[in-house]
Amino acid sequence: MLRLLLTRLSSTVIVIFGVISLVFLLIHLVPGDPVDVMLGENAQMADREALREALGLNRPIGQQLITYIGNLLQGDLGQSLHSRTSVSSMILERFPATLQLALVSLLVSCLIAFPLGIVAALNRGKAWDKVAMGVSLLGVSIPNFLLGPMLILLFSLSLGWLPVSGKSGFASMVLPAITLGTALAAVLSRMIRSTLLEVLNEDYIRTARAKGLSYIRVVIFHALPNAMLPIITLLGLQLGVLLGGAVITETVFSWPGIGKLTIDAITKRDYPVVQGCVLLISISYVIVNAFTDIIYGWIDPRIRQGDRS
Amino acid sequence: MRHFGWAGWILFVWIFVSIAGQLLPVDINQIHLPSILNAPDWQNWLGYDDLGRPVLGRLLAGSLTSLIVSFTVVTVSVVLGTILGTLSAYQGGMTDLIVVRVIDIFLAFPGILLAIALAGILGPGIDNVVIALSVVGWVGFARLARAQTLSLKHREHVLAAQALGTKKRKIILRHLIPLISAPLLIEATFGIAAVIIAEAGLSFLGLGVQAPDASWGSMIRDGARYMLVAPHLVIVPGLALMVVVLSVNLLGDRLRDVMDVKTNVQKGSH
Amino acid sequence: MLLRPGYILSVFVFLSLTACSDPSSTSIRFALASSPISLDPRYATDAVSSRINRLLYQRLVDFDQKFQVKPALAGWNQLSPKHYRFKLKPVRGYFKNGERLTAYDVKATYDFILENENASPHRSSLLIIDKIIVVDDQIIDFYLKRIDPLFPGYLVIGIVPKNMAADRTTLNRIPAGSGSFSFLEWPDTSRLVLQRKSDKQLVEFIYVHDATVRALKLIRGEVDLLQNDLPRELVQYLGKENNILLKNLPGNNFTYLGFNMEDRLTSQLAIRKAIAHAIDRQSLIRYLMGGKTRLANALLTPEHWAGLKNAKAYSYNPDLSRSMLESLGYTRDKPLLLEYKTSSDPFRVRIATIIQQQLNEVGIKVSLKSFDWGTFYGDIKSGRFQMYSLSWVGIKTPDIFRYVFHSESVPPQGANRGRYINKKADELIEAAETSPDMSARGQYYQDLQEQLLFDLPYIPLWYEEHFVAYRNNISGYSLASDGNYDGLKSVEKLPSP
Repeated sequence: MLRLLLTRLSSTVIVIFGVISLVFLLIHLVPGDPVDVMLGENAQMADREALREALGLNRPIGQQLITYIGNLLQGDLGQSLHSRTSVSSMILERFPATLQLALVSLLVSCLIAFPLGIVAALNRGKAWDKVAMGVSLLGVSIPNFLLGPMLILLFSLSLGWLPVSGKSGFASMVLPAITLGTALAAVLSRMIRSTLLEVLNEDYIRTARAKGLSYIRVVIFHALPNAMLPIITLLGLQLGVLLGGAVITETVFSWPGIGKLTIDAITKRDYPVVQGCVLLISISYVIVNAFTDIIYGWIDPRIRQGDRS
Repeated sequence: MRHFGWAGWILFVWIFVSIAGQLLPVDINQIHLPSILNAPDWQNWLGYDDLGRPVLGRLLAGSLTSLIVSFTVVTVSVVLGTILGTLSAYQGGMTDLIVVRVIDIFLAFPGILLAIALAGILGPGIDNVVIALSVVGWVGFARLARAQTLSLKHREHVLAAQALGTKKRKIILRHLIPLISAPLLIEATFGIAAVIIAEAGLSFLGLGVQAPDASWGSMIRDGARYMLVAPHLVIVPGLALMVVVLSVNLLGDRLRDVMDVKTNVQKGSH
Repeated sequence: MLLRPGYILSVFVFLSLTACSDPSSTSIRFALASSPISLDPRYATDAVSSRINRLLYQRLVDFDQKFQVKPALAGWNQLSPKHYRFKLKPVRGYFKNGERLTAYDVKATYDFILENENASPHRSSLLIIDKIIVVDDQIIDFYLKRIDPLFPGYLVIGIVPKNMAADRTTLNRIPAGSGSFSFLEWPDTSRLVLQRKSDKQLVEFIYVHDATVRALKLIRGEVDLLQNDLPRELVQYLGKENNILLKNLPGNNFTYLGFNMEDRLTSQLAIRKAIAHAIDRQSLIRYLMGGKTRLANALLTPEHWAGLKNAKAYSYNPDLSRSMLESLGYTRDKPLLLEYKTSSDPFRVRIATIIQQQLNEVGIKVSLKSFDWGTFYGDIKSGRFQMYSLSWVGIKTPDIFRYVFHSESVPPQGANRGRYINKKADELIEAAETSPDMSARGQYYQDLQEQLLFDLPYIPLWYEEHFVAYRNNISGYSLASDGNYDGLKSVEKLPSP
């Protein structure tokens, strides 16, 4: 167990270091001189030098990276070029909104995916399976920047039930959560189906069936609890769909989270903020994944024994 | 082709229309002020947009954008990913370790976040979209090619070829890649769908094609502003995008089913 | 087992929810297309901030319908050509700390702006002030460096309390004026809450970026009023809603196409003339702008006392334009290539795209570059453009001509961003400034505007209309021709049914 924990932790640390380096390098991809792009070509010489100094762009690249990581360790993500406030405080201000939306979307996707996946698994190869998997495929095929406006048209405009956008209480969270949750539900329902089918092939399920228990009972009380573990792990891995999708969904619904902050910063060419947002989103994704992995390994003895490659 | 049903037909229509559509004598940038936001009618099938430009023409132009971007990005990604993946698995050792780490790092960016950041930093434009999506796209193929190669590299025919002193390049090209091409093809099919959505997404965010060029994503973004008065501006490109992506995904599913039959047979045989 | 994760999640979500918005709110909610940037009147330059500052602060003078300056907080006497005495009116507002506005506050406000190191953007327009001397609580003297008959018209800055005048950081976020409204809260850029002093009525400014969403929020009653910044189609759509009322009014905000007069191409008068004849302004107005938008031929509207009355407008004549370009050697095969910059605001991009197409028809290939507002404005201010479009908002006094067209006003001294250098224009500006007689001065400015129309450093486009759309339980809001929000001083809201 300790060995697993240590290898997992060390590889996580390496990945995080790689992510930081990659995000750090982003600013060097700006075509031309980043200072020119940010300030405009005719900016005062003094301003340009001040910014170059503040961003540390006048030092060797290795040294810049070390400073960058050093600052990160102190929670310093730099300063916004636009509002002149610290990037970390801007991100902290927006983080709760994204977290709320992600959690509600997760709930929504579970509410859609579990029934779909179970129905499909129960009726493997039959019409219901095809319908459920068709719905799931449709879900994967509708991008959230299309689903969002469509939902607004239907629920805010035609039916007038829900607010259009912005963040004002629970009602305003419904549409973005559905938009974001659907994409996840589509992937999740397929995983639930295949995991269930795998479990249903196990011996103890056959035994239970042989004892004369009804199929539905067997699935819900025997197969599903045993399938929960892999499903929860998959859920952790799919958090990426949620976090990545949040960028576009938040833009569609003017949801004041990190995703919208990222896009706003890109349009304002506020690169330190872009870097900070991308870094935060990716690192939280990496950490959540590492945790699910470790917990999974801890619970599941099969993994505890052997090392996975 | 019979296996692929209507999804195959839709894709055929998509590719045909994208290319043939460019031969039509329609200027997709022709502005006609009196037609602004006109709804579809019998003469003008899909109506007009916010500048009085024909939506049909722009839809076809957007279709070509999707086609070109998705095939370019997937081709680049498959080639790069396969080379890196097979080489690293075959070589093993330090090379493999480094490639695996790099793959892990790229996979740490959820969804199209890295592509958004890259496209945002490189600046808007369809060429930068292709670059950004390729930078993100190769990873999946590399991972797949590596895993497949690992499972194949101790097969008898590979070992035999090694024993005979066949060159590494030849072994990879002749003995490994043909065997892993099936799963790569399936992955590439889903890759096409993903890139179509990603390109549209970047264009929706304003990071993709620049006006007056057309993309389904930018059409949806512009159309959403007139959602109240001219819903066809969102619905038309939206439906097109959805149907094409759905068909590509269906095709991928079918392909997987067909290939899965094979692997099942193999499983049963040993 | 199945339900547990969902159950835990829903409890968590329930706990994490913050206050919900009140659907039957009694506060009057006003939708904004952009959020105010600074509520310190000494720094505010954007239109939204200035309009909100009019509600929060009082100012010495204001303008009437013909843009003649009139007393607001104070009346004045000209004791000598360079000496003005202002007497504050007995009815004056109170600051938050309970103190009444006095002449000392006026002095503190203007002294602060004149201090170089405070870097107020309004300093340059007030440099004419030599010194300010308080006579008593209600009387204050302004001494000028030179004679300027337009002078009292410059004193439009909101007065801040003297004890806070030095505290820039506080005033920027927590305004403290003596106007009809007091400041309540400004938690983030999306929401600003003011309270009307007379009846404690709350007014909320809600920033909603997207035009469609603003319109939808109005229809759904999430906001009560919105003013301007909506495409014509959406305005027409709102007009069909039963519970929405519309009002519109001709405006005087001037939209134009500006040129770089130092550029190899756009410095050529013939090219600018060809462009002027190639743009179909009438159609643009008819198909894109609100019904009361007027064609413009000069920066000031004709009803302004210094406005150009009978202008010889450039007609839409693509054939003429084409032949002018041909005589310069530009044809369809060898087109003139120009770069046109605009902000990334969708409506501005839409207009620019149409202009691009109209120019294309006479053989000018225009590459359109749209940038976020900050980048765009930065480029324009520093002269990095061939051609761009922009508006002058809230122009009241003809000193704008020195600021925009005098050869001494090239940035950073002024806003002659296209580097228009013309001796005759300079002379007319100077003659108008020194002329003691009002009607002669008006004539000089008219001559100047005729000269500008001939030289075309700007191609005048139009004066956009102002409109307000409001729910039918709102009454008493009147529009102003400069688009200010003063109507909020009298607006009423009936409880919603």
